[in-house]
Amino acid sequence: MKNNLPKVLMLGWEFPPIINGGLGVACHDLSSAMSEIADITMVVPKTSPGFKMKNMNLVGINNIDVNTFDSLPQNFHTPLPFKLHSVPADINPYYSQNNSEHSSQFMGGTKNTTGKEKLEAFNIDSLYGGDVIHKVMQYADITASIASTMPFDVIHAHDWMTMLAGIKIKEQTGKPLVMHIHSLEVDRSGPDNRGWVYQLEKKGMEFADLLMPVSQFTANNITKHYGIAQDKMKVVHNGSMHIQSFKSERKFREKTVLFVGRLTRQKGPEKFLDIATRVLDVNPDVRFVMAGVGDYLQNVLEKSSYRHIGNRFHMTGFLNQEKLRYLFSVSDVYCMPSVSEPFGLSAVEAAHFGIPCVISKQSGVAEVLSGALKFDFWDDKKAAGYILNLLNDDVLRRKVVSDASTNLKNITWDISARKIVDAYAEKQFI
Amino acid sequence: MPSVCFYFQVHQPFRIKDYSFFDIGQSHLYEDDKKNEEILNKVAEKCYLKTNRKMLDLIHRHNGKFRISYSISGTAIEQFEKYRPDVLQSFIDLANTGCVEFLSETYSHSLSFIYSKDEFVRQVNKHAAMIKKYFNQVPKVFRNTELIFNNELAAFIEGMGYKGIICEGVDRILNGRTPNYLYNSVSGKNIKLLLKNYRLSDDIAFRFSDKGWAEFPLTVDKYKKWVYDVAGNGETINLFMDYETFGEHQWESTGIFDFLDHLPGAILEHPDFNFKTPSEVIDAYPARDTYDAHNFTSWADMERDLSAWLSNSMQKESIKRIYSLEQDVKACNDPDILNVWERLQTSDHYYYMCTKFWNDGDVHKYFSPFESPYDAYMFFMNVFSDLECVLKRKMAALNTGDVENAKRIRLQSNDGELIKDQPALSS
Repeated sequence: MKNNLPKVLMLGWEFPPIINGGLGVACHDLSSAMSEIADITMVVPKTSPGFKMKNMNLVGINNIDVNTFDSLPQNFHTPLPFKLHSVPADINPYYSQNNSEHSSQFMGGTKNTTGKEKLEAFNIDSLYGGDVIHKVMQYADITASIASTMPFDVIHAHDWMTMLAGIKIKEQTGKPLVMHIHSLEVDRSGPDNRGWVYQLEKKGMEFADLLMPVSQFTANNITKHYGIAQDKMKVVHNGSMHIQSFKSERKFREKTVLFVGRLTRQKGPEKFLDIATRVLDVNPDVRFVMAGVGDYLQNVLEKSSYRHIGNRFHMTGFLNQEKLRYLFSVSDVYCMPSVSEPFGLSAVEAAHFGIPCVISKQSGVAEVLSGALKFDFWDDKKAAGYILNLLNDDVLRRKVVSDASTNLKNITWDISARKIVDAYAEKQFI
Repeated sequence: MPSVCFYFQVHQPFRIKDYSFFDIGQSHLYEDDKKNEEILNKVAEKCYLKTNRKMLDLIHRHNGKFRISYSISGTAIEQFEKYRPDVLQSFIDLANTGCVEFLSETYSHSLSFIYSKDEFVRQVNKHAAMIKKYFNQVPKVFRNTELIFNNELAAFIEGMGYKGIICEGVDRILNGRTPNYLYNSVSGKNIKLLLKNYRLSDDIAFRFSDKGWAEFPLTVDKYKKWVYDVAGNGETINLFMDYETFGEHQWESTGIFDFLDHLPGAILEHPDFNFKTPSEVIDAYPARDTYDAHNFTSWADMERDLSAWLSNSMQKESIKRIYSLEQDVKACNDPDILNVWERLQTSDHYYYMCTKFWNDGDVHKYFSPFESPYDAYMFFMNVFSDLECVLKRKMAALNTGDVENAKRIRLQSNDGELIKDQPALSS
């Protein structure tokens, strides 16, 4: 039935039920939309055995039987087209197995591990615990073996964890390699970071045939920090699933400003505190809520108490989706002060809930959400002004919300999926 | 004729639960009843009942020559009433011997002296009324929360009619002098200060079972000699400690109860030594010198200052916020709100938020029901926010003269359940 559709081998890392951030959601929703117009095989490290997706061949490495795997051609030693030096990224002090064995090696020429050992790398709860690089290497070997048994037209890899696999498969099959860039090491760790992940990203993106950054903001970062020309890129903005939004009654009088995200440098949690401080200076009857966890939690919490806004600045810790949506349903303004945000799906979610968004210009979502008030992430004064205006001025508030709701019609995964398949055709991959 | 003066602190806080942001406006049940009951039951079995039985036995055995004192916080008494009346009864039995003195303190074991004199007076009086009710004594000697003390407190408490006050014998203030005499305060006229002999006190309270201590194991004979050594250079040896030392901090298996069993007899073997309660010490001896505590001191941590409760910004923010409600809490005339607010003043809440993580951090962590000081702060501030919401609504109704509506605004949970525990006594 799908004979005429382009065959895409997708390489993913986070996927339901293991989701650490936006990547898992985006991969799931995007592949689901694409499966209407393409024949997709998605290989991910881990899925629940019962988890199936319509129209799509979903392979969870954790569910592969060892005997089946051993019977596959095992092209573990396909050399990489470049040299990448590796040391184990084993920063967990409690994880001491086999430390000395792979103390230094060249990527690509991995030591002889059995299929069983490779599969065991994914017999785990966390995709990022232990030696991530080891897992990335095993993932590459396993997917290369799987790829050798099936026909496909395009390799479509998502972010750095799957790049090595994409590279190997391209070397092995000669098929075109597309790299979908959801986030960069320079977003996560700052522009000065030039570590192993950065090197892999750079070499991988150079080797790929086409890059698909999730925003022009990210495309510009790729050019600026990785030296790759824009003509090798096709920006594909994220979409958003339709969300059944609802309103709930607030249990307290004060209007509420919401932040959702990991409390890491990238997301600007300290900026949110600065903005809150300025707003509360003018209007003490506002509550600021931060949902999320991360290494900035303690710091931000202490600072909020030092600034005597502890009674108006709340941190909820980690929240499940139900609680998050409840928070959206009682909030009056959504604030995303990210320092470097490739996209920012949470702002789209806020827009679905009819909450006006105040977002940093250093975000991808700013390119598609014209119904939002935008500021440079360092300009907390401007952001505070926007928030105060939105809280006090119903006309402005209604206008921003209705503009955003118009934007939402164009922020769908179907549109993203169409763009991707069109780009395949344009580049004559299919 | 030197005296040994024992004072034991008995205190339990009403610990709050993991009260999340989502509970604000939703639930007014702040306390972790289950945990509070569990802890009280545990301490009752391991310490209170057992030690009280031992004390009663010792008093009888020595024909009233063994004399001791307690300070029991109002929150501890309320928990006895609620969960373990047998513990309360065992303290009443001790009071009935006539050999036991009960000291005065703030009702909720609070830091109110530092933040509000009005609230301090209210709490001290409320506590005194409770002591009178259960133990039929009018307290004459005051001890502030965790022995927090300064010159101003000495003068203030003298003005309230007390004749003595308990405090830490801090080296930097004693400056080479012994804590084993009564002292005057530079600001009080007649009030006498009993200074804790922290070496001899902590030998029992902290070091008794410490195998790394050079004097381990501590025997009654050894300890008795250290006490005798004071002869000629002191009139009162003030041994002040948490009552939970017996059976809870020092487990029964360490031999602490045997030690306690033999200690009074051993000390009384010496004809010059006796036991006195704080009031008796004050009546028996003059003050020999002046103790000048310009800054606040306490018995907590290595620093012996306020840093256990008030060193970081989270502690300062939360406690300032709590006292900022005082005026409205008192104006709204709602006993539930007053009661909850009073319990939120308990010093333990702020102790849990302490981030000092050296030797003392261990102790903070041991006592804290929370995973981290940050959790302690977050949950506390959520509770604060809920209380503030209710209070503001109530005051708004009162201010517009809508008394009927104001009456309806209470700390009531959604299922209509009123918060339990009316105040044991209104002051």
